Amino acid sequence: MAVYIYSITSKDHPLRMDGLTGVGDPPAEVRTVTSGPLAAVVSDSPENLRPKRRDIAAHQAVQQRLMADGAVLPMRFGYTAPDDEAVRLALDKRAGAYTDRLMALEGCAEYHLKASQLEDALLRQILEESDAARQLNDDIRRGTAPPGANLQLGELVAQEVQARQEALATGVVEALRPFAREVRSSAPTGSDFVNTSFLVTHDDQEELFLTTELSLANQMGEDFEFRLNGPLPPYSFV
Amino acid sequence: MTVVPQNGGNLAQGGGGGSGNLYDVLELILDRGLVIDVFVRVSLVGIEILKIDARIVVASVDTYLRFAEACNRLDLESGRKAPTQLTDIVGDSVESGAKGKSKGALTGAVDAVADTVKGITDRDSARDEDEEDEGEEEEEAVERRRPARHAPRRARSSHPRHEKE
Repeated sequence: MAVYIYSITSKDHPLRMDGLTGVGDPPAEVRTVTSGPLAAVVSDSPENLRPKRRDIAAHQAVQQRLMADGAVLPMRFGYTAPDDEAVRLALDKRAGAYTDRLMALEGCAEYHLKASQLEDALLRQILEESDAARQLNDDIRRGTAPPGANLQLGELVAQEVQARQEALATGVVEALRPFAREVRSSAPTGSDFVNTSFLVTHDDQEELFLTTELSLANQMGEDFEFRLNGPLPPYSFV
Repeated sequence: MTVVPQNGGNLAQGGGGGSGNLYDVLELILDRGLVIDVFVRVSLVGIEILKIDARIVVASVDTYLRFAEACNRLDLESGRKAPTQLTDIVGDSVESGAKGKSKGALTGAVDAVADTVKGITDRDSARDEDEEDEGEEEEEAVERRRPARHAPRRARSSHPRHEKE
């Protein structure tokens, strides 16, 4: 039977799994497959698993439980192996790399930050500070603008938006970087301008990281929304 | 300003119910994490739509027109004061906390920023593609709309079309 893989840990991890349920409906029982110094946390995989929100939540819940007791390499959601033996082989094949990474992640957690700015506030700021944009906008409103002025204004504003969001993102990430062991950013979606993960050590660094994030969010004001999630399993740093 | 509590743990407690956090961390669970190449991934039909928001083209006529229209209808008279200058904030934070650790911090920043600015704001065209792609597979697998507890702000920022009408 196919097995669904949640995460890889050291075999010395306590692996408390009482009460945990896996993917599928009804949920499969979560168990371990060990080989050498490593353990994989798995469950039997239902036929034709078609992921639903509860499956993703189950995957995440397993990681959250395990990370409370020690380092864990969370798998990306949705991977299955043909059987336990295939899992053992996979553990053996890259045992050194997994062990090294587990050691590097010991005592760390991921924090994921997204931030957005109200668009009207950003546009207002651009119109206040860019004479060219303001002039175009005024002309368009008065009906005295030449044809094509809308596109010209839009292009100008788009460039300003991009430059400003870039600068804001750099500012936010750099303010937090000193408190993170590793940082990984990716393209923000929707109205967000920051989409960044930080690997943070559970010690005074974590407190400084959280305090700084809070203070950034406060200082940037009500036009901004900061959404920080964590501590999370280190998905971005495996 | 809104600060979301640091409660990553509530997914575990909430089982499938606590989707508040799930939305924001979904891309981590689906797109990050360890991959073992010999293993097979289950079909994520209906989940892939999450990535669509990232396919945003900043330099497009649609974007330009949308920005222009948004500027045209802004009420500049009631404008609030300009937000705090970020440079000041960053200076303060780095000085107060970093103590030497910030050296070299800027090296990766350019790349990071380059990555982050690829997709910015053209939500209208993204939404159009969205509707074509998502079909009926979406179901409960993914909750596109942001959680209700953030309703006032989220409603504005994630549904620009409604806002216009």
